[in-house]
Amino acid sequence: MGDAKEPVFLPGTLDMLILKTLARGPLHGYAIAQFIQQASDEVLKVEEGALYPALHRLEVRGLLKAEWGSSDNNRRAKFYRLTAGGRRELEHESAFWNRVAAAVTRVMQTT
Amino acid sequence: MKGTAIAAWKRLTAILHRRRLERDLDEEVAFHLAMREADYAREGLAPDSARDAARRRFGNVTHVKEQTHDMWTFAGFENLRQDARFAGRTLRKSPGFAIVAIAALAVGIGGNTAIFSMVDAMRTRAMPYAHSDRLVELWGNVMRAQVERRGASYPDFLDWRAQSKSFDDMAAFDGVTLTVVGAGGAGVNDEPERIQVEFVSAPYFSLLGVSPSVGRTFRADEDDVAKPVRVVILSDGLWKRRFGSDPGIVGRTVTLTPRTSPAARPEPYTVVGLMPPGFAGLTDAAELWVPFALYGPPQAVMNRGNHGFAALARLKPGVTLAAAQVEMDGISRQLERAYPDTNEKRAVELSPLDVELVGPLRGSLLTLLAAVGFVLAIACANVANLLIARSEARRREIAVRTALGAGRGRLMRQMITESCVLTMIGAGVGLVLARGAVATLLAQSPVTFPSFVAPGLDLRVAGFTILVSLVCGILVGIAPGLQARDLDLNPALKESGRGSDSRRSQRLRSGLVVVEVALAVVLLVGAGLMIRSVRNLIALDPGFDADSVLTLRVSIPRMAPTPSISAPAAVPQAGSPPPPVVEGRVLLDRLRTVPGITAASLATDLPLDGNANAGFYAAEGMPPVTAQNVPRAYIHRISREFFSTLRIPIVHGRSFTQAESVPGSPVVIVSERVTKRFWAGQDPIGKRIKFGPVQSDEPWLSIVGVVGEVKYRGLPDNPTADPDIYLPFADRSLQVGLVVRSSVPPASIAAPVRAAIRGLDPSIPIYSVASLESLVAGQTSQSRFTMWLMGVFAAVALSLAVIGIYGVMSYLVTQRTREIGIRLALGADGRDILRLVVGNGVRLIVAGIVIGVAAAFALQRLVESLLFGVTAADGASAGAVALLAVVALLACYVPALRATRVDPLKALRYE
Repeated sequence: MGDAKEPVFLPGTLDMLILKTLARGPLHGYAIAQFIQQASDEVLKVEEGALYPALHRLEVRGLLKAEWGSSDNNRRAKFYRLTAGGRRELEHESAFWNRVAAAVTRVMQTT
Repeated sequence: MKGTAIAAWKRLTAILHRRRLERDLDEEVAFHLAMREADYAREGLAPDSARDAARRRFGNVTHVKEQTHDMWTFAGFENLRQDARFAGRTLRKSPGFAIVAIAALAVGIGGNTAIFSMVDAMRTRAMPYAHSDRLVELWGNVMRAQVERRGASYPDFLDWRAQSKSFDDMAAFDGVTLTVVGAGGAGVNDEPERIQVEFVSAPYFSLLGVSPSVGRTFRADEDDVAKPVRVVILSDGLWKRRFGSDPGIVGRTVTLTPRTSPAARPEPYTVVGLMPPGFAGLTDAAELWVPFALYGPPQAVMNRGNHGFAALARLKPGVTLAAAQVEMDGISRQLERAYPDTNEKRAVELSPLDVELVGPLRGSLLTLLAAVGFVLAIACANVANLLIARSEARRREIAVRTALGAGRGRLMRQMITESCVLTMIGAGVGLVLARGAVATLLAQSPVTFPSFVAPGLDLRVAGFTILVSLVCGILVGIAPGLQARDLDLNPALKESGRGSDSRRSQRLRSGLVVVEVALAVVLLVGAGLMIRSVRNLIALDPGFDADSVLTLRVSIPRMAPTPSISAPAAVPQAGSPPPPVVEGRVLLDRLRTVPGITAASLATDLPLDGNANAGFYAAEGMPPVTAQNVPRAYIHRISREFFSTLRIPIVHGRSFTQAESVPGSPVVIVSERVTKRFWAGQDPIGKRIKFGPVQSDEPWLSIVGVVGEVKYRGLPDNPTADPDIYLPFADRSLQVGLVVRSSVPPASIAAPVRAAIRGLDPSIPIYSVASLESLVAGQTSQSRFTMWLMGVFAAVALSLAVIGIYGVMSYLVTQRTREIGIRLALGADGRDILRLVVGNGVRLIVAGIVIGVAAAFALQRLVESLLFGVTAADGASAGAVALLAVVALLACYVPALRATRVDPLKALRYE
């Protein structure tokens, strides 16, 4: 187990976190990483080494759609947007996560 | 499911956009790094350290890119690309090997592609008819000494059609030649012309699924024999040629001379429809269609004993041929009971339409496909041998790759990819070869293919070629792949270059040589059989002398009836037809004056021209006969010079005299079989026969001459064993065959003969001009076609096998140089060495020959129908085997000779 102060990465959750992040609107890869880190109060850290394969995997599966646009500082950046399929997948994943998280919590609270 | 499909599609399109994908990814990562760097700079890091930190944070950029990129590719696809590129590089490094291997494969694959495209063009579904797989022909047959095909009679056909339930519909059809005379009208060709006509009953067109481009097809009521309606349907070609593409063609009249009518006066027929371009009926040559009701005079058409045409029918969906056959057998038995006089021992034979149209040809081509498959197998064995030799030479490379972590499966895959690259290139070259080969084959073929057989390199053929080359690539790659897999790393890495061949690979290579020899033996024996068959066919005595004989047919019109007052002498008796415009005698006399012609004769039909007609006869004093042995003969009306012109031997008696050449002469000449059957050992001259049964009131005819049997109706033998009966020609029939013997090449007198006939009367159509030799050759065309290709394949197989043997033997000698050097140093002389090396090869060759001969005997059954008068056990095969043995020994001898010249000193230092 990692140090409590160090940002952690929870395997198997990256796809869901990306989908959730993009539910708020289109973002480029860097912004997605930053958002997850900030929204989790720096607890979750996104590995770039995992982020880009994951984004492209989701794109190939048709859950995301990528478009080139310009960023806040007017640089060309690739923006990812949730597709209808991605939205369905997100619902599915978050329902699953809630069930699992609640179950884990219940187990941990059992004395 | 849908997601998978989307992903697959995106990956597929990504293959096409690789470069853009890579560029995008580079840019995306660069953007990420720039953003991170800017953030670090904002936090106060110096520009340099900000960039470094951003990179450290990101990790291995290349690795991430590769991983991301992998999301877009199919697993294994990238490996394949790499392997193929590597294979390409290795092949470029050894162009000699590549050229030999690709050439062998190109010949093998190209040959297969060419023959396959022809077989494929003959598949059932290639026939240009609707539901062609359900179309069948119904043939009336009769059980005599053997079952003989006779065709249907119209009343039988009507009963078949009415009583059977297996078919959607049924139509009678038959192809004949008729004369079409002046059509009248502007821009119209008025010359009398012989054209191919099909008599068909109404459902014929709907059965074939063809609709008229203009007008209609025949109506059911036009099939009524009692009330025939003179209507015709034209082919597109005839419409253009003779009617100037008249758009108002429907309703116009065409004048035809009927097939059999005592008057034989041209009669007008009304055009009711026009067929689309390209449709030529089942005879593949028809230009005109007439209702079957007009097939002949009503009493002849409605005679149940008058057989001679086939019926076309379409099986109902789900009804099998066997089930329909069972039903028709039942109907035949019923008809046999109802009409014993005409239908005793008669039955119906159902045959799929494609079998009737291309069956025999397909048989030949399938045999050839097997043969060319053998050629490809030999080519593959050669390439496999080359690859094994190369993988021996590449042991170090393979060992290094294994040591560096290449898995065994990965190595195997690489070897197979390499061989597939080879076979694919071979296939590419082979496709080009096949294109040329098919064109040449069709142009040079002595066989005429049905017009719907149009072989081309379409998708199916390309698919076949790719499949074949992949299978070859895998088979060929497995051997060196196994080799690489089982490589023992330590010695391989330590060895200094060339190592001694492993025992296992030697066995493998020797095995391949044995296979090559065996396959070559099978092909050589096959080619030998075909060559001998064709020789036997050509050497066959047809009973006549075809050399320097020209044959042609003419259709002599009758004179217009003259008013009786103006020329009473010329008026024939009431009821008898008007005289012909030219009498046969006059025609022959005119022909004999043509320079170069040494003899001329005429007959109602000529040998092998397909116009023969048969009838039953009776011999005076013969014992009672049954349906199975009732005497039947082919009847020819001939002019008296017929036998001398064709050099048919007169065995007894004489030919007809001038005085006998009149209608009603009570004389007859028979072929030997007639006298042998009824008057064996007696003098046949003066014996009498008559047509029909003994009790009929036909007149008795006295035999004045006996002639030799003639292969009148087919080679190598007549379809049935019935004899021939000759009657004097007496200007009754006006469809006449002419034979002229010349002292110059027959082709060169065709023009003067035409001119001479035209000079007598320009209204006489002349057709079917051919030398008798070409008619004889036509009978053997299929055998010659098969022989010709078999010969080519066997020659290719032999050369490939010899190259293979030579390659292996040379390699063996190189491998054993050191050993040979030691032997020589220890006192062995050249002869010992020669014996050692040649002995090695001889063992392989003998093994191959033994297996090959055994296989040839086993396979002989498959080609039996293509053979004539030969078996694998005769001299042809021995010759083929001897040829192979000699050439193969030579291929061993040359490397062996080189072995004897080994310098022991050099050899010992060899490694």
